[in-house]
Amino acid sequence: SSGINAEWPLRPGEMSKNTNSSAFRTVDVDAYDEDQYEDDAREDASGVQEVQDRAAQVKQLLNQTKCKDALKLALQNPPLGHKDTSVKQQNYETVISVLKAFRTPDIDQAVEDLSSTEVDVLMKYLYKGFTCNPDKSASFLLWHEKAVKKGGMGSIIRVMVDRKGV
Amino acid sequence: KQWYQRRVAITAGIKMSTNTPQQLFVNEPISSHAFNKDLSQVVVSNASAETHIFKKGAGGKYVLDTTLKEHLERVTSVDWAPNSNRIVTCAGDRNAYVWNLQQDTGEWQPCLVLLRINRAATYVRWSPNEDRFAVGSGARLLSVCYFDPENNWWVSKHIKKPIRSTILCVDWHPTNYLLAVGSCDFKCRVFSSALKELSDKPQTSPWMPKLSKFGTLLVEFSTNNGWVHGVKFSPSGAQLAWVSHDSSVNVVSMDNQTKVFTVLTASLPYCCLLWLSEDSFVAAGHDNCPDLFNVSRDDVKYGARLDIKKEKLSEHNMSAMARFQKLDEHGLTETGTKLHTTHVNCITDIRAAATSNGKVTRFSTSGKDGKLVIWEVNALCSAIQGLSI
Repeated sequence: SSGINAEWPLRPGEMSKNTNSSAFRTVDVDAYDEDQYEDDAREDASGVQEVQDRAAQVKQLLNQTKCKDALKLALQNPPLGHKDTSVKQQNYETVISVLKAFRTPDIDQAVEDLSSTEVDVLMKYLYKGFTCNPDKSASFLLWHEKAVKKGGMGSIIRVMVDRKGV
Repeated sequence: KQWYQRRVAITAGIKMSTNTPQQLFVNEPISSHAFNKDLSQVVVSNASAETHIFKKGAGGKYVLDTTLKEHLERVTSVDWAPNSNRIVTCAGDRNAYVWNLQQDTGEWQPCLVLLRINRAATYVRWSPNEDRFAVGSGARLLSVCYFDPENNWWVSKHIKKPIRSTILCVDWHPTNYLLAVGSCDFKCRVFSSALKELSDKPQTSPWMPKLSKFGTLLVEFSTNNGWVHGVKFSPSGAQLAWVSHDSSVNVVSMDNQTKVFTVLTASLPYCCLLWLSEDSFVAAGHDNCPDLFNVSRDDVKYGARLDIKKEKLSEHNMSAMARFQKLDEHGLTETGTKLHTTHVNCITDIRAAATSNGKVTRFSTSGKDGKLVIWEVNALCSAIQGLSI
């Protein structure tokens, strides 16, 4: 015999046993980094109740065809970074329902009358709309054009740097 | 109305026409620049490990005089101490050097600075008294450096807590022992940097109501979401302004530190700023153009865009034939890709070049387009109607 134990630790042609378990590949190494940056503790900007109340009030205003007032109300105090995604979803739907209700020629004036904070919120929802409802992109793009006219590139930048998101 | 703007280009010390200023460097983005006291020389760092010093020659043109070669990685920031005539440079090689001019040889002698950082240095500034300087870095800490004559080198003390990401900018308060730091963790902070090693005798002020030792966090501002690209105390030190990557401009007064005035601008983010007086400052950045902001006790307002080019005369005199030819060539209704600003890429550094009665009368900007431009404040004032500085 050759004196070499051809079977230990591996049989010829066999891969190392260690590679059988690939659990190590799913370890989140960043979690063990003590210098890892963590965002400040998230505070809920808007509670569940507020979002629901707002949805109802906006619906009322839309029924009275007070679209501009509905828009201003819908853009108040968005639930930024809210832990509950259904809350964010509900507020999103509130905003979209207002955008849908507008007649095209009225959009210009409505956006013009918004404050800079409101334009920023509108912009955030438009970009959310592009991702969630790409089928409605055409109308979102129309709003986007008006919002850029008012808020400039700065309002788009603020959507991109927003870590919490609507 | 045609608005004219005269600016003195770095390479032409003569009265400028409204032609585009000449580029001093081609194909080399400038990371930072600093003039000496009488503006006869300027040190410029670019994308390489070499730093260049330009001297104003006979015709008023700046020509390359010396190259400072010591760093191993790209030099990120430079500063020139006007009174002691020393240059400090810091680089991606985690080092900084202080350069002293040798009187006999006229050569700049480097002196190593022990920063003790494990990431690239990003920003350096001499303090007002020029006895120390601060270096920001990607190591998430600030190194405040002073000279140790015993060992003939510069040593540093660190300010680490609670900075949690790369430091992008630093500014010294006129009192020499307070510092403002802007970093990538979206915060602007003011620290005490009183050094007992240098026999500092700090006094209390609204920024530091209680005498605090070196490294104490005095106040922290967190506005919105952007990296803080530039931070500056006003000339008196009573106000603090910073520009952030969320396209905002923020100002706070030391007498009311809970009220931060924020302007959410329509521009692309600013990278640097400079106070022209106690009530106005200029911010510049990704829009390639300096913008003026006016500050009053209750408000901060966008003032004006300071770079307005006179339309080329030739375009007015163009014949109909030439116009259609141009349309045909470009296939557009207008040449949309033409930039109408002096800088054609992001402005990354802005410095005061001359002051009079406490107001800046001339400032210089440098950017990623490799240009260094000097702006005359008086010319800007007369050119733009209703401009107040």
